[in-house]
Amino acid sequence: MNVDDPAMLDILRRCMVARIATLSRNGRPSINPLYFVYMPGHIWLGTVEWTLAARNVKADPRVSVLLEVERDRSPRLVLRISGRAIVRTDPKGQRSYNLRVARKYVLTPGGIRHYLAHLRQLKLRRHYAAQNVSMGQPCIIEVTPLEAEFLGDEKHG
Amino acid sequence: MKQVTRNIDPASARGLLERVPRACLCFASDHGPQAQPIVLVWHDGRYLASIPQKADRKPGPGQEVVLLIDEGVHYFDLRALYIRGQVKQASAPPEAPAADCTWVEVVPLKTVAWDYGTLREVRDER
Repeated sequence: MNVDDPAMLDILRRCMVARIATLSRNGRPSINPLYFVYMPGHIWLGTVEWTLAARNVKADPRVSVLLEVERDRSPRLVLRISGRAIVRTDPKGQRSYNLRVARKYVLTPGGIRHYLAHLRQLKLRRHYAAQNVSMGQPCIIEVTPLEAEFLGDEKHG
Repeated sequence: MKQVTRNIDPASARGLLERVPRACLCFASDHGPQAQPIVLVWHDGRYLASIPQKADRKPGPGQEVVLLIDEGVHYFDLRALYIRGQVKQASAPPEAPAADCTWVEVVPLKTVAWDYGTLREVRDER
């Protein structure tokens, strides 16, 4: 499937959490759910340099990413993208990512309602983020899709 | 010294196994890492996963895999169970969805769970 297929772009725009599979230097698998934004030609997933996902991408750039629209339950349709990734730590990219993530996850009616409902926990969230950053730089895993395919839900045929 | 943690006792994430929101397997293949959506049935404490027969690649017996069960979209709703283990062949569990698929069991070696809704300070044990 062409990675510019309209159905694929629709999922990339509406999916909220991507699951990225990676391999360690020794070939051990790992998969992590991460927030992401779609950029023309790339998928940017946000994490911190010390995480397994980021370390694995540095060791082996091959990735497999699952995306689905969480609110569409029937029929479940999953997009799998295979590609290559790099880890970016440049401040310009990070600023652009942060802005897009805020627009996608926070500055929406659902996002605002969610954070207002959890005001008391925001201080802990800030501490948690600061703690993570103290262990390593924030980074973007930039995925360049090479192949894409739709996988149906076997429960629904 | 205290640190903030999202980690929870995997036993308290049992709800994810009883009404699996979304689940997938990850394993190594000749083509790199492979992420495969699955249907997961937690039966008698066993993790039974169905992989569509038509899937291009499947993990072989004894192969290391990671089973991820996760849910949530907004930050404090994000929860997951992350199980590293090995696969072995299995038969379909009772009341399994009728479909053309292969069943495998994931035998856990290590399990971790997190829930961002439970962020809290704990004593730093590093």
